[in-house]
Parts: sequence; C-alpha cells; structure tokens
Amino acid sequence: MEPDLIFSINPGSPEPIYRQLVEQLRRRVASGQLVAGQEIPSVRELAQALAVNPMTVSKAFGLMEAEGLVERRRGLPMVVAAQHQKAMKTRGRVELLRPALEKAAAEAHQLELPPDQVLALFKALLEDKGETR
Amino acid sequence: MTHTLNQTPTPMMTMGGRAESQALADEHLAPPPVRASGLRVDFKGQPGVLAGLDWTLAPGQVVGLLGRNGAGKTTLLETLLGLREPQAGEVRLFGQPALAPDDALRARLGYVPQQSALFEDFPAADLLRYFRSFYPRWNDAKVDGLMSRWEIPRERRVSQLSQGQQQRLSIIRALAHEPDLLVLDEPVASLDAAGRRDFLRELVDQVLDRGTTVLFSTHILSDLERVAFNVAFLSRGRIALQAPQDALAEEIRLLSGPVGRLQAAVDAHGGQVLNRRDLGERPRWLVRFPGGQLPASDAALRCEALNLEDLFLELTQ
Repeated sequence: MEPDLIFSINPGSPEPIYRQLVEQLRRRVASGQLVAGQEIPSVRELAQALAVNPMTVSKAFGLMEAEGLVERRRGLPMVVAAQHQKAMKTRGRVELLRPALEKAAAEAHQLELPPDQVLALFKALLEDKGETR
Repeated sequence: MTHTLNQTPTPMMTMGGRAESQALADEHLAPPPVRASGLRVDFKGQPGVLAGLDWTLAPGQVVGLLGRNGAGKTTLLETLLGLREPQAGEVRLFGQPALAPDDALRARLGYVPQQSALFEDFPAADLLRYFRSFYPRWNDAKVDGLMSRWEIPRERRVSQLSQGQQQRLSIIRALAHEPDLLVLDEPVASLDAAGRRDFLRELVDQVLDRGTTVLFSTHILSDLERVAFNVAFLSRGRIALQAPQDALAEEIRLLSGPVGRLQAAVDAHGGQVLNRRDLGERPRWLVRFPGGQLPASDAALRCEALNLEDLFLELTQ
C-alpha cells in the first residue's frame, strides 16, 4: 500500500506528528484495514511521502514497536504484528474514541452547552464524513 | 539521534544542568555546526536586535527559527554565517570563526537568502556553471534533476525568471555542493503549495542522505511543523526557547483560572511559567511541565494544549 494512503498529517493540530502516525496505524489495525504480516513503509519512504522529518517517523515507529503494533525484522520491512490479527470488535474499537470524546465533553461542559445540541453536532459531523468518503 | 533539549537560559526560561552537560559531552566530539556566544547587534536607533544571544546547533538537527516580523531573524542568520559582523560576541561554524572562513569551510555552507542575489544577466544554466567552479564537490545529477523537476528554463536569463523560479534556482544553487550546514531564510515565500511540498521533500532527502544540519526561518508554520524536529523562538534579541516540537506539544499548556489555582497547579506539577498574562478575573499562564506531568482541567481551571501557531503567539506577545 502507498505510504500516504496509510498515513497522513493533520497540520495545525496540537497533537505531535509522531503520535498522529501511531494513532492512525492503531485505528487501521483495529478496523482490520491492516492485517498481521502486512508490510508498512520504511522510515525513508514515509518521511519522503509525507515530507516529514525522518526522526519524527522513526520516533513513531519506535513507539509502534514498543506497543506491539508492529514487528521489526532484520533487514526487512516492518510488518503489522500478529497479536493484532483479529480486528477488534466494535465495542473495543469505539473505546479508541474515548480520549477524543472526553476532551470534547470537557469543552462542551466549559461552554455550558446542552448535551442534545452537542450530540446533534456530532451526529451531523459523522454523517457529513460518510457522504464525502 | 539528537533529541537534545538545547536551551539558552533567559529571563523567560531557566534550565537545569542537562543542557550544560550535553554541551560538555558535545565538546569532545566534532565541533558543532554552529556555536554562537554573546552575539550583540545594534542598529541605529534600534539597540539590541541581538542582545547577547547564545546558541548551539547539533549536527543533523533540523531547526525552524520563529520570531515576529522585525524580531531580527534575517540579522541573526546573516550574523551566524559571518555575513554581518556583530558588535560583540562570536560565531564558530564547525569550530572555525565565521568571519574568517577558509575555502574548506565555505564549501560546507549553503545559504538561501530571503532576497535572491543571483546575477541577473546570466542564463540559469551559466549561473550554475559559474558557481560550480568555486566548489570542490558539485552534484550534477541532483542539479539536472531539480532543474527539470522544478521546470526552470535553462537558457533563460535570471532576470526573466519568475520570483518562484528564481527562488527555486537559489535553492538548487545552495544544495548543489552538498553543504553540511544549510541555512534558509524564508525559502518558500514565492512558492505555491506544490512547490513548497517538493522543496520540503528535497530537504528530507538531504537529511536522510547526508545528515545535513538545517536551519530555516519561515512564516508558514505548517511547513515548519513537518520538517523541523526542533524549533527555536527568537524574541527580544535572544533565543527565548528551543526544544523539540514534540516536547513543546507534550509539556506546554495554557492554563487559565483564578491565580491561586494557577499557582497551585504549577507548584504541584513542577511547572515553569514561561509567560503570564494577568488580565481581569481569569489570568492566562503559559507553563511548561517538564516530563509531561500535566494538571487536569476542571470547572475552575482550564488546561489547554496548543498548536505551534498558538504557542508562537502566546510566547511572543
């Protein structure tokens, strides 16, 4: 798969780029878009494709490896690790959204917004995304 | 890998012993690409453009230099390269005085100035041939490849090229001799989005293939975000803060709330206050929490992560 199909950068985000890359891989593995044994791009390929500092990419890969998401093989491209072979059940996948939603909930609280209005906005965003895909 | 926090103590931020011990460790290796100490530059009616600035760049670092308009970024870059003599202080490039470079040192430096200063009457290809004669090393394949990819008409005079083409030609000229230190002053001001991306890829290649140390200033923060592992903020004539971007994102928060709560949060988590704005009921403090032990937001205390642009604005007010 092309490096820039697996990964992308969201500029202007407070989330560091290396964390964005790890989260994207995690989501793709969780949803079954990437399966065990599948090769991921090298540091060089990804740094070039995204025009990102290679140290940032290798930091992301280090963290993916430490978390058991990928396996390093001597002299060969890294692959998606085996323990993530089975795509997580929806229940597990939805938990990955918790940090982002907790943050949104805290902000909604600070803005003193009624829950209905917030949920309506979230629903609209989900549906929008569905159409543009 | 250089994940070093390389900071200069300033009124805005004081550091523990880590930067010093790192500096001592570096001293035993090759001299750093850039070491500036006590730089002072005054202009008529504008004293302290550089006000005792200390700064060191480690080999292979890619550093983005940020500062408000008029903060002195161009002056700093010119002084670092020995193109401008400071009233006080000294710059050493790879251990040699920047003001008296020999040919070997010159060959290790690449510079893309903000205003391209190319000979306007030369056709593009002749201009490059001219520069080629000054350098012991010259990567013809890279030059040819970039001239084609960036669609620069080889036989057209420099004065007849567009601003963007002149800027690209200036970049090619700076990359051609494969410098070990590349300094770029707003290198992408006249490039469109695609041109900028292509230029960033070229920088990434340099770093991958040669471990080039890169220092660049730009006002386009999304570019800087991608390729600069480290960022440095120039403010009031000094490097107010330099750190890996990741560390800034993970350790710096904007706190707002009653002063008592702010102080308690800073004390409890060992925070360093970088900037205070005590306006009315809800003061805002910009705080760095080394190690990333962050206070939690609640109804009275707000703790926000900042993107690079917001951080820049908060730091340089």
